[in-house]
Amino acid sequence: MSPDPGPHVGRFHPFTPLVLTLCVAVLAVAAPGPKTAAALYTTTVVAVFLGGVGRAALRALIPLAPLWFFLFLLHGVLGDGDQVVILGLSLSREGLAAAVTQACRLGAIATASLTLYASFSPARFVDAVADRGWSFSTAYLVVATLLALPRFRARALAIIDAQRSRGLRLRGSPLNRVRAIGPVTFPLLLGALAEVDERGYALETRCASGVVHRTPLDPPLDRVGDRAIRWLAGAGAVAVLLWRVFG
Amino acid sequence: MSALLFKGAGFTYPGAPSPALRDCVLHADAGSITWLTGALGAGTSTALLLAAGLAPRHTGGERTGTVLTLGVDPALPSSGAALGGRVALVLPSPATQLSGIAETVFQEVAFAPANLGWPRARITARVSDALTALAISHLANREPGTLSGGEMQRAVIASMLVLEPDLWLLDEPTSALDTAGRALVHALLRREAVRGAAVVVASEDTDGLHQVADRLVVFADGCPVLDGPPQEVLRGERVWEAGAASTAIAGLARAAGNAAPRPLTVDEGVARWAR
Amino acid sequence: MNARLLALLPAAIAINLVIGGLVNAMGLPLYLDSIGTILATVLAGPAVGMLVGAIGQVLFGLINGYQWIPFGLIQIVIAVLAGVAASQAGFRSTGRSIAWGLLTGLVAGALSSIISYVLFKGVTATGTTAVVTLLRQLGLSLPVAVTASSLALDLADKAVAFLVVGALVRSLPNRMIGRFARAALAVGR
Repeated sequence: MSPDPGPHVGRFHPFTPLVLTLCVAVLAVAAPGPKTAAALYTTTVVAVFLGGVGRAALRALIPLAPLWFFLFLLHGVLGDGDQVVILGLSLSREGLAAAVTQACRLGAIATASLTLYASFSPARFVDAVADRGWSFSTAYLVVATLLALPRFRARALAIIDAQRSRGLRLRGSPLNRVRAIGPVTFPLLLGALAEVDERGYALETRCASGVVHRTPLDPPLDRVGDRAIRWLAGAGAVAVLLWRVFG
Repeated sequence: MSALLFKGAGFTYPGAPSPALRDCVLHADAGSITWLTGALGAGTSTALLLAAGLAPRHTGGERTGTVLTLGVDPALPSSGAALGGRVALVLPSPATQLSGIAETVFQEVAFAPANLGWPRARITARVSDALTALAISHLANREPGTLSGGEMQRAVIASMLVLEPDLWLLDEPTSALDTAGRALVHALLRREAVRGAAVVVASEDTDGLHQVADRLVVFADGCPVLDGPPQEVLRGERVWEAGAASTAIAGLARAAGNAAPRPLTVDEGVARWAR
Repeated sequence: MNARLLALLPAAIAINLVIGGLVNAMGLPLYLDSIGTILATVLAGPAVGMLVGAIGQVLFGLINGYQWIPFGLIQIVIAVLAGVAASQAGFRSTGRSIAWGLLTGLVAGALSSIISYVLFKGVTATGTTAVVTLLRQLGLSLPVAVTASSLALDLADKAVAFLVVGALVRSLPNRMIGRFARAALAVGR
């Protein structure tokens, strides 16, 4: 998530990347085998790079790498059935196919959602929702939470620093680390609760509850291209889903 | 016509052993600045929360007596519609009053008007005016989280000013501001009173407010004990007995053994002592 | 939605995500990603807790990959059970908190292993998958390995989470508890 969402993705209406990533998720779940799953993953990565947010695809590799390793291990190496020898390792043919399918499914999903996150602009999202007249409360909750995360993280780190200077040990035995939970979480939780009161007063005074028609401050353009992409992607995903369920 | 009226009002926080506010009689008129002060825990902050209707609605606890804000009981659920956007509340810590969804100071100040569904043109015009009035126009595109304490406090006040409220309730609104900033805000409150708003400000900034406020109400132990023109009240001894403080010069005079009525400003002090 | 909830929910959700991330970074064999859900339930009821859990999991999925979103079901179940615990003064003491936590962990662990197996064929969080691999090596079938590792982790995780929330709410002054009526009931005041 950034104030500068990228040269191409940033020009879309906020709902377009949202619909696209949901469609990728549906297609990933519906992909029947290793070839289709791999095709989907490759297409997603290429699209992401073309959209100017290639770093999202790379970032997705971080959580994916251990998942892929274990899929390979669990299903490929330890899998039953027909064995095939690759590079000296005896791997299950079926297991390998299942591993590749699942790996590509997870890859497509992870890449799509990280791209959405990288291209998300809070203000444009709130304006898009307001423009449509949809629930302000929901949009508020999503955006306020996303914007609160760095603040809470910074506070948690500051608390850890403060507690360490008072003698808190974070390394060492698991018991040590479990003992550290209280001194780290308590101040964070208490601080959060103390804030809730005043913030509630401020939100009430600024008429944030019972919002009927919030004015979009800078409504994002919903071009024909945006609508076309959303409809095509949505129809495609539904078609594939129906084909998988009934075909 | 009183913008704010307390008649025998009392309030006890949930689980508290004694009331925070007892038998309180208070009124604030449109077009004037009413200044509340008192020792810590004397009840000024609670009075403001009561006026805004946030006590007991948000705080829990029990209220007794009558509270009328702009003619309605603010604690009633139906009053939300009547009072929305007409009552400004500014609390001591600026950071917790931020909307939480604004990426720029402009969006922050536009938060309330946008929620009320104002037309975009009106929002843009009013927000620009408010930013100018608080001398933070140059910060319009900054992220609210990166502001200094003083800048944030100005942004919070601007986000209330934009509404042109009928009643201002301010609790220590200048704690993070420097001398210039405090002077700016006090001048702003004066202009608001001239515009016809009722301004109620709870503050320990005696030196700053004694020439700006029209009336001073001193609280002690949950109840107003003094009520009168600031210049009169601050020169006397009773304000000290109530646990509050007067201006620095008056404090100096008192410490030096001068009896009431005491000088309030440097000029008055010089006139009194340089003989 | 009233202004107090608008202020409470983002904080509770952020707590889920931040403490979860912290614990991950500290290398602890726990999730602790439901403290916000449990706290919100104790303060404002299971409906609010479910919202915290659901929205939190969706946002977690947004940031780390949609594949995690199905586990939002577990957050919802945690909210329901925490709600039951709160209505029974389940947070009145350390012992009661841990007991209710273990019960929740049992249900959460079972559900989690079902989701793990059905959706991911046994591969999800790196920690559990390592345990699953180990158990497979020892000859256990995949479903059993996934269930056993999920359960053990969830039991410990929910016990600690309930313990932390219980201790926190019991330590709150009356003035704060008074703002949240259900919390008083949960700690038996």
